[in-house]
Amino acid sequence: MSVEFKIDGKTIVANDGETILLAAARNGISIPSLCYNQKISHTTSCFVCVVKDVKTGRFLPSCSSIPAPGQEVESSTAEVRDMRQTSLNLLLSEHVGDCEAPCTLACPAHAKVEEYVREGKKGNFLESLKIIKQRIPMPMSVGRVCPRFCEKDCRKNVTGEPLAINDFKRLAADLYYETYMEDIPASIGKKVAVVGAGPAGLSCAYYLRLKGVDVTVFEAMPKAGGMIRYGIPEYRMPKTLLDKEIKHFTDMGIEIKYGMKLGDNLSLDELKKEFDAVAITIGCWKPSSMRCEGEEFVTQGIDFLREVSLHDTKYINPGKTIVVGGGNTAMDCVRTSVRLGSKDVTCFYRRTEAEMPAEKLEIHEAKEEGVKFQFLVAPVKVEKRGEKLVLTCQRMELGEADASGRRKPVVIPGSDFETEADTIIGAIGQKTNAPACLEADKFGNLAANLGDNVFAAGDCNTGAATVVEALAGGRTMANSIFEAVTGEKVDDNENPIYVSRGHWRHLAKDDLVYVNSACSEAPRTKQSLISIEERTSTFKEVAATFTEEQIKEEGKRCIECSCSAKGDCMLRNHAKDYDCDVDAIKGEKLKVAYDNRHSVIIQDRGKCIKCGTCVKICKEVVNNNLLSAKKRGLYTYIGTAFDKGFPESCKDCLECVKACPVGALTIKKM
Amino acid sequence: MSKNILKIRVGMASCGIAAGATKILEMLQAKNACVIEETGCIGHCYAEPMVEVVYDDNSSQYYANLKAEDKYIDSILSGGDLGKFDIHEGRKSKELLRVLRLAGKIDPKSFEDYCANGGYVALKNALAMEPDAVVNEVKLSGLRGRGGGGFSTGMKWSFLAAKKNAEQKILICNADEGDPGAFMDRSLMESVPHQMLEGMLIAAYATGATKLFIYCRAEYPLAIKHLKIAIDQIYEHNLNNLNGRNVEIIIKEGAGAFVCGEETALIHSLEGKRGTPRFRPPFPTDSGYFGYPTMINNVETFGNVPIILKDGAAAFASVGTENSKGTKLFALAGDLKYPGLVEIPMGTTLAEIVFDIGGADRNEVKAVQTGGPSGGCIPVELFDTPVDYDSLKTLGAIMGSGGMIVIGKDRCMVETARYFLDFTHRESCGKCTFCRVGTKRMFEILTRITEGKGTPEDLPFLKDLALKIKKGSLCGLGQTAPNPVLATMQYFMNEYEDHVIRKTCTALKCKDLVKLQLDQSKCVKCRLCIKNCPVGAISDDFVIDPEKCTKCNSCMDMCPKKAISCVAKNEN
Repeated sequence: MSVEFKIDGKTIVANDGETILLAAARNGISIPSLCYNQKISHTTSCFVCVVKDVKTGRFLPSCSSIPAPGQEVESSTAEVRDMRQTSLNLLLSEHVGDCEAPCTLACPAHAKVEEYVREGKKGNFLESLKIIKQRIPMPMSVGRVCPRFCEKDCRKNVTGEPLAINDFKRLAADLYYETYMEDIPASIGKKVAVVGAGPAGLSCAYYLRLKGVDVTVFEAMPKAGGMIRYGIPEYRMPKTLLDKEIKHFTDMGIEIKYGMKLGDNLSLDELKKEFDAVAITIGCWKPSSMRCEGEEFVTQGIDFLREVSLHDTKYINPGKTIVVGGGNTAMDCVRTSVRLGSKDVTCFYRRTEAEMPAEKLEIHEAKEEGVKFQFLVAPVKVEKRGEKLVLTCQRMELGEADASGRRKPVVIPGSDFETEADTIIGAIGQKTNAPACLEADKFGNLAANLGDNVFAAGDCNTGAATVVEALAGGRTMANSIFEAVTGEKVDDNENPIYVSRGHWRHLAKDDLVYVNSACSEAPRTKQSLISIEERTSTFKEVAATFTEEQIKEEGKRCIECSCSAKGDCMLRNHAKDYDCDVDAIKGEKLKVAYDNRHSVIIQDRGKCIKCGTCVKICKEVVNNNLLSAKKRGLYTYIGTAFDKGFPESCKDCLECVKACPVGALTIKKM
Repeated sequence: MSKNILKIRVGMASCGIAAGATKILEMLQAKNACVIEETGCIGHCYAEPMVEVVYDDNSSQYYANLKAEDKYIDSILSGGDLGKFDIHEGRKSKELLRVLRLAGKIDPKSFEDYCANGGYVALKNALAMEPDAVVNEVKLSGLRGRGGGGFSTGMKWSFLAAKKNAEQKILICNADEGDPGAFMDRSLMESVPHQMLEGMLIAAYATGATKLFIYCRAEYPLAIKHLKIAIDQIYEHNLNNLNGRNVEIIIKEGAGAFVCGEETALIHSLEGKRGTPRFRPPFPTDSGYFGYPTMINNVETFGNVPIILKDGAAAFASVGTENSKGTKLFALAGDLKYPGLVEIPMGTTLAEIVFDIGGADRNEVKAVQTGGPSGGCIPVELFDTPVDYDSLKTLGAIMGSGGMIVIGKDRCMVETARYFLDFTHRESCGKCTFCRVGTKRMFEILTRITEGKGTPEDLPFLKDLALKIKKGSLCGLGQTAPNPVLATMQYFMNEYEDHVIRKTCTALKCKDLVKLQLDQSKCVKCRLCIKNCPVGAISDDFVIDPEKCTKCNSCMDMCPKKAISCVAKNEN
């Protein structure tokens, strides 16, 4: 006997015994549910499928409710959406797992790290490169110069050294970057000007070009690459490789015009007239002041590095050199000075080594190359005495922590001392030098959206940062520009819902039993470096690319942290649809580990939503009845009899795994 | 002495035994002076152990608060004054014993006692009627389910009776009394087991049920023992033959899960499954125990049935309010003088129950919690409310099964709400999201608030979550679990605000928001506080270290000069 009822005002006929959920689905009205499964009797657990009965005001689980004749229910009102969202938020609040691997989340460009590592370890380097280029269009550079955000969050840190992730990128790029060419779509008739051919500008051009936008890049310098070319020394990033990397962009049909400087021989108004949008990626090229007397005698670090690059490293020996500063630019300056022939290079830093913002590896390699360090010293004055420069410094001690969390250096009175040098380089920091036509904020930076279809990204938007951050910014800007010039919404197809087990610092070894429980415990593969003699006398690239064999071995170390149900987790998918927030509701989560005693199945209780679908599948479909719920309240879990694991009688049919709406039941990786 | 002792009844229900009645019984028996009877619950928890001396002139005298000492036994036997006890006037004038008429008056194990006092007359009357007429009589009486829901008992019976073609019909007595502080059902089963069983037999006759279950928590061994004896007596006297149709009575001991008081969870438990509720419809009367039409009534509901069939629906309905007929049992507990089991006519006001019967101090009471963890609190200002199903509901509380907890002025309402949520979140069966996770999150927020870590934003969030849990939970447990919070927020929002805004607990009950202070001007330096502090928090110059102090209050209790007091932590 069929029943006529209404959903959101639409009359629907339900078949005899048909639930509201099924009748709605048959009529094209989708109601979300986690615990509904057509193979079993309803479990009525998740309450994501609630609808509101208009007459009684009650909320009904539509998966179990048979409509009454003439009944009216609401499924799409704000109130119903709110109930569903709360239900999902509650489920997320008890969810223990990693929707996405921490390396992927740590990457400023959100490159799918786990995926490209997986392809790499299988030897599919072209496939790996394609995944990388979805987010990182300059993998040759990033594969060499990235400070490796991904590795800092790698869960391998719990037991030892992180996976050598960046080397996967570098090898994939070295093998296939030059030969692989993307499919370039036909022009959609939109024109965008990019000002600045650094990583942010090139990234923006790349992603716009892939969407069929015509892009012209205007570059002030004689060659493209921005700070990768003029700020990063040859021994870290060989410029022949950079040339190859940039050639790819022009091969894609991106036009680069050199010697064009905004506010100089390039007019913003003209660009605005000629193009549909303008992207500003002019970087940070203005050195920060050391704020001491006699600064006119100081060589600025980025100027120094640029000159060396412009002279193809054939630059004068700076003699006895002092570099003031503790960041990566300072390290680039000291190591470049060594390579130019200086036998006496010292880095002066006002705090201690622990507070240095430079990469630990850079500091280590500088020391190997003979660079000396003086910590807790700050410059006061530079004087010229004859042919020599004299730097007067004060000694410092560390006081209270400042806003950055680092302990603030405090002057020790009367501790002044002098040091003689041929060259003094200041590497304190750098700023955006915006032309008058652009309005900068109080820090000198440009807003991401400057109005009138003018956008900004990269260092000039964020302040001096890394290549990968510039590439990420360029990509985001490309999406904004595309939306602005076409009116079409760009769907990244990314799910912003990320549940995390937490940072590795808060995890113990036992927490690391993941789906790939067979991952190698071998130590990290060592990077092979050229000899110290070559390092101190030539600008040859210091570190070698891993071999394919090395990468395959290193890949075995990957834990593969992300959820096995990453693509098809219904909780995460519904949570995205209902604008959920994993932190909306906070509270205790269960500390539970995997049960991997079964030969094929892994049970991950932390991800279980206690819907009982697996219990009923095993009982009603497989007729085996091996699973049941235990305990009560938040501590409820699904387990086997006496928690002894699946018995012999398990048929390994995997029906439970297939039916699990989340990643609580999954198949072992063999 | 002009009168002689006929017999002495010793209150030997669980509460009496717990207070030491067994020893009193033995001592009295050893005297060999007269007939000594064991009886059930007399209803005055605060006065246990308790005996009633019955004289040959039909008068009787209670002796209470007895100790296992000869002087007490002698006093009982000689009519002395030691231990003499009279029920206070407030209670005597307000209570109406119908269901509990025989509680504490007969030996629960004696079939003859029950019959001699009008027992099984109702069943006989019922068997003389057509089954449908019995159903109709119950309908007419206006009896509503005493388990808390308040659904018309007669209506429910008629649903099961209507299943004429069922292969088998099931009747279940819900004796899974799970509310903390509620003991009405236990007392009734322990004291007059036949009364409930008679009600069940009448229901079985009226509805055609042949399999009768009593689902009783295993923590009630005495009730189960008395029921088993009574069931044997029923079989012995062939009372399970209802005009030619034999019925079977089975006791099922539950493992004590609160949710098993919910009817669908209870049925699952009976079937040998995990006690989790399921979505209704189908209702049990359509598809219950293993698919058979099944009806579930509460102990007290069945206990009322013989009254209806003995005296008639009209007589039953002569007591009570318009929509709530008869009497109601309440387990009175909390901050009052006379905790115990009482039976009052529907419509008695809260003030009469709490002050007149319970003897609570009018100036010291803040509120009363009805319905246990599923109910809500009612502030003292609204104590004129007559107690019936509908009036309590309009106040945000519920009748519930009959737990009534008096809350004194020195209690913290946030802590009270937290206490109930602590119970419900643990008792959630874990099946549906809102109840499993939601009640836990509410409990966590309440805990945070009582620790002084709450924020003003917590309050609207808590209320919103509470309302959603009510709307989005599968069964009554989740649908009512937020009630204690919503009711306290309705009537005592100021206390919540004190905790989250001013970080104080006005009642000085939340340990994280108070400190102990020693008034040097009152101190006589006796060092008792220092000696008694378990954590060494008091220095030799009599200063309490707030970091060490655990607020156990033992120094405060010890101090002969009352120099130590509990004050708000942020007070100087």
